Amino acid sequence: MDSSKELIKTVDLLLEISSLLMVSGANTNRVNLSIDRFASALHCNTSCFISHKTIVMTVYEDNSTLSCTRVKNIPPYAINFSIISAISKASWTAVEEDWNIDQIAKEIEAIKKQKRYPKLVVLIAVSLAGAGFCNIFSGDYINMGVAFASTFIGLLIFQLTHREGYNVYLRIFSASLIASVLASLGIVFKLGANPETALATSILFLVPGVALINSFTDFLDNNIINGLVRYTTGLMTVLAIALGLFIAMLLFQ
Amino acid sequence: MLTIILNLLEVAAWSGIAALGFGILFNMPKGVVPTVFILGFTAGFIKFALMHFNVHIVLATFIAVFFIGIICMPVAHKIHHPPVVFCIPPTIPMIPGYFAYETVLSVMNFIFMEANQAKRMELIDAIFANGFTMLFILISIAAGISLPMLLLRKNTVKKIED
Repeated sequence: MDSSKELIKTVDLLLEISSLLMVSGANTNRVNLSIDRFASALHCNTSCFISHKTIVMTVYEDNSTLSCTRVKNIPPYAINFSIISAISKASWTAVEEDWNIDQIAKEIEAIKKQKRYPKLVVLIAVSLAGAGFCNIFSGDYINMGVAFASTFIGLLIFQLTHREGYNVYLRIFSASLIASVLASLGIVFKLGANPETALATSILFLVPGVALINSFTDFLDNNIINGLVRYTTGLMTVLAIALGLFIAMLLFQ
Repeated sequence: MLTIILNLLEVAAWSGIAALGFGILFNMPKGVVPTVFILGFTAGFIKFALMHFNVHIVLATFIAVFFIGIICMPVAHKIHHPPVVFCIPPTIPMIPGYFAYETVLSVMNFIFMEANQAKRMELIDAIFANGFTMLFILISIAAGISLPMLLLRKNTVKKIED
């Protein structure tokens, strides 16, 4: 009885780790790698099926007939590179120092409690990135100011609608629409040398870069289904952005 | 000559800042902030320097991203963070936003505005030229970042010692 309870605890912990990694934006290969490392620290074997919304995992031991299979639903995605990095480090220390299950569980709890950057820092940094984009596509400083302001408001809308719990594509659409309407005002009033660049770059903060790059690496690793799912999510995001831009341009034509 | 170098440095610095902004949006660990800026700066510098010497934007982007992909393995070993964490943010400034915008603009004019046959042909030309440039830049970003990881995977950053 005891050892089967131990097995259930192990599989729950490993499922928790892998769902945390998937939510944070790791590719499928990295999730498998981390699970293998933790499993080797806990002296057990695992096989798992990872999909976008669910993970199925079996844990078994070499010298017994016991095994345990459980299914876990993955919560909504929120990219968080700090968690990926911390779990990767924890997996190495766990293997090197031969941690037991309680130590690993304690470490994972600590990682989950890590704070994100404050909302205001994120807003300013991303708006500066928008201004930087505008400079890259040869806009002058006035265009960069327009790009900064519209990115700021767009991201603010995106964050506020997150709190209300709207559908993610609706949020992307509204953020893109509002950011591009604001940037279009720059074209109407002819601010700066290339007001079009501000419009083109004001919506780039919504671009699904992580989803598309992960989709490509998943394809190359032969995780075709996960790659397709990520590609489709990326495509839906791009469509939502394009629709917002399209409507703004139609309004101001 | 000096103004060209200064312009290059300015654009590269903004690439670095754009990379940092996206890193913070993705909540990167505080330890990789300088690495992300330096990688973004270097990649931007390589891309725009190559474009200054009339290398096509697709090839220039591929070379810059491939450089990030190659360098991330030794860097990961040095700063003890997995490569994904600091490789993705510097590639985001390479995204062909302006070409995407031009494509959408031409599509919109083609469907809703233009009736003149000759102008419509020009718009088709613009849709294809901008759309495919955007597509090829996206492909070169994806390939450039993942090929080195696959090529170098035989000697992963750290090995499990059984």
